[in-house]
Amino acid sequence: MKHSILTHLLGPRSAFDGGLYLPDRKAGLARRPIQTFHAEGPLHVPLTVRRDLLTETIVRVGDRVVLGQALSRATNDQSVGVHAPASGVITKIERVWTVEDGFLPGAILAPDGSNERMPQHQGWDDESIIVQLAECGVVCDIPRAPLHVVMREAIAAGVTDLIVNAMETEPYLTADLRTLVEFPGRMIDATCELADALGVSRAILAVPFRHRRVVRRLQSEAAGRYVEIVALSNPYPQCHPVMLLKAVLDREVAPGASILSEDAVVLPLSTVRRASDALLSDLPTTHALMTIAGDAVEHAGTYRVPIGTPMSRLARRVGVAVPAAQAVYGGPLTGSALGYDDAVVTPDSKALLLFAKADAARPVPCVRCGWCIEDCPVGIDPPSLMRLESEMVCTDQKRIALKACIECGLCSHVCPSRLPLSETIIRNRIRFAGPEPSTEGGTRH
Amino acid sequence: MTPDVPWLASESALRGDAPHRRGVSTHRHILRTWIAAASVVGLAGCALFGVDALRVILVSLVFTFGVDLMFVMSLRRASSGRLSRTFLIGILAGLTLPADVDWHVAATCGTVSAVVGNVIFGGWLHPALIGRVFVQFLFWQKLSFAGASIALGPVLTAANLFVGDLDQSVRVEHYEGWLETTVPAPADAFELTPPLWSLRQFAQGQVPVDGNFRFEPLLRDEMPPWIDTLIGAVPGGIGETSTLSIVIVGFFLIYRGYLKWQLPVAVLSAAFVAASILPVESGGDYVWFPVFAAEGGRAVGLAYVLYHLTAGQLMLGAFLLAGDVVSSPMRAHGHVVFGIGIGVLTIFMRLYGVLECECYWAILIMNVFVGTIDRFTSRRVLGTAPSEDAVAA
Ligand code: SF4
Ligand code: SF4
Repeated sequence: MKHSILTHLLGPRSAFDGGLYLPDRKAGLARRPIQTFHAEGPLHVPLTVRRDLLTETIVRVGDRVVLGQALSRATNDQSVGVHAPASGVITKIERVWTVEDGFLPGAILAPDGSNERMPQHQGWDDESIIVQLAECGVVCDIPRAPLHVVMREAIAAGVTDLIVNAMETEPYLTADLRTLVEFPGRMIDATCELADALGVSRAILAVPFRHRRVVRRLQSEAAGRYVEIVALSNPYPQCHPVMLLKAVLDREVAPGASILSEDAVVLPLSTVRRASDALLSDLPTTHALMTIAGDAVEHAGTYRVPIGTPMSRLARRVGVAVPAAQAVYGGPLTGSALGYDDAVVTPDSKALLLFAKADAARPVPCVRCGWCIEDCPVGIDPPSLMRLESEMVCTDQKRIALKACIECGLCSHVCPSRLPLSETIIRNRIRFAGPEPSTEGGTRH
Repeated sequence: MTPDVPWLASESALRGDAPHRRGVSTHRHILRTWIAAASVVGLAGCALFGVDALRVILVSLVFTFGVDLMFVMSLRRASSGRLSRTFLIGILAGLTLPADVDWHVAATCGTVSAVVGNVIFGGWLHPALIGRVFVQFLFWQKLSFAGASIALGPVLTAANLFVGDLDQSVRVEHYEGWLETTVPAPADAFELTPPLWSLRQFAQGQVPVDGNFRFEPLLRDEMPPWIDTLIGAVPGGIGETSTLSIVIVGFFLIYRGYLKWQLPVAVLSAAFVAASILPVESGGDYVWFPVFAAEGGRAVGLAYVLYHLTAGQLMLGAFLLAGDVVSSPMRAHGHVVFGIGIGVLTIFMRLYGVLECECYWAILIMNVFVGTIDRFTSRRVLGTAPSEDAVAA
């Protein structure tokens, strides 16, 4: 990245066509340091991280476990085990509800409040990084898979570049930003370790230019290291791996293809943070770092939450100012509805947003304003794809467009007619372009 | 916090599709802003043409809205978006009419806008303009310049804004400009030549040459001062003439993002360039590049071109009529092409055409090509090569 005086004052230009600078709603929120929630009340810990990844439960009802002790063990090398998020007694083995995977096998853990934890081994250098990541149960957010599986695939694909994604351009989300503010050195160290294991020739940490102090701090931390800090302008959805690849390396991923096909791997900063615990301190993943915010929340902020905490308890811990009319798991544009109020925190939970008002409006016919077309980051024409809903056949161009959509939700966000554009596109993609390529390796979440 | 306080207002809080938060601009905001913008221009028209102007706008509005409402109710296809747009169309149709027309002209204009423009064509040709060009044909004796040896139109004097009566108009012998000239006591208004008519006459060589001076007679004897065309104190449609108010509301629409700045810029610069190049007939031969004409040390050519921009219709067309969301292209690139087409066609038809309302015709003609423009300005999908197929899609 070239830095002229102008870029210093104004920031770099947006690196792709389309996109939109959303009001980021992080002011204040991002200034509060990360707080840790200690486990209070029973934790409903899912014993696997994805529905199709098999694990074997190695605790029984009545067993006492300590923080970080394994509760389940992978049965094959695609899977990872889960570790106890607190010390306590297993009171029950029963299924628990997660937002992304529905019901998963789980264990109910009644914490006893002691601070006892598994001993940390300072030197694990007899094992490879990949084995260490698998042992500690580190999972990756995008693609949703255990990190060691993602790394193995990346190595097999012969990637040459590692991009760590700290862009976080969705409104409200602050977890990555807080991590960079509080642990810049650790993030750089972990990135170096991962880059070593991947054998890449470039390791890049992409951060939003507008947080200039963070950028400067990272640059001084990274001086003389292997990691390049790249400060980017942050229109939404610059945080998406496909847009990041375009912005940082100017490579374009073919519609529907995986990032790996462009010889690069993009890891979210949250994943690197979990990897840093495993690699630098030998700590397994036991907590999720979540933004809890929204106008119905009293003490919005970034919280370190034990896995298995029910969302309802989380909401009460931070204080609900008014009962929420809408609860969102994840970012406001890409997140999912909770579905069930017993949903629990999983290792890759990133946010719980509670809004006092649901944002629903009746759609009216398209007024042809063209905003959706102008703002779509991949250059497709959402209203024409919307018409597919009532059609039986799909042309090749439309099929390509369906595959190219990165599901950022921006078209629906801007549409003044309130048309459900991205929702329809996602539905029709399943209808016409076949199911998603399996999440393994497919980086288009 | 006690655990028995409900954290969810209802079960529906747990459902819904992404995106969960939407942008703040809805079609309602857009249409409301546009209606406000059109009303401001209408207000300026009322100032210049008196309560007669208000009557014309209201009649047009009532008929457009009423007819469309009847249609919507008979089909039970009500949608709030459609009716607010019809409201806007009604005001815009009124703005394109002169203030001294009879009420049945305005009523016909509104009815045709609603029936032909909105119902039959579904709004993809600007409905207000369809109504306007229709009444231009139907009531040509009143509205058209054709056949008249001299066209005249009234405009209130500066002392009688809003309240004056357009029928009390007199023709002033030595007209020095709107602000400088006064009328004898009982009269409220000037009887003036519309600058558009003068420009058309000039292009056809009807303005006699004065010695070596070709442009000077037009500017000196026929046209009002340029500043009058900015204020709008010249005869013409209610909203057509007041350039200043149009530009102000246009900037507001652009600032709100409800009008793409590319459109007025493209229309006006294309019209500027076209008027600068296209020849005018003068003294039996054709003068190319009129913009460079200088007579007696004055840049008369430039003045002539500027009159083309502000004389009427073009400003209203560029800012309020062409920018109608439904009948304009989708993308900013498309708006540039669309705007260039409108600008060039307007000047071309003004100089050589027989149709009046040239700007409105230009917009309607370009409306027909919107689909084509959209296809040729479609975006390349990320990760694919720019291909012919994308254009042919
Ligand atoms: S959801 Fe898909 S179609 Fe809509 S803006 Fe994002 S990429 Fe474009
Ligand atoms: S944003 Fe909505 S109203 Fe505007 S062109 Fe797209 S679909 Fe139509």
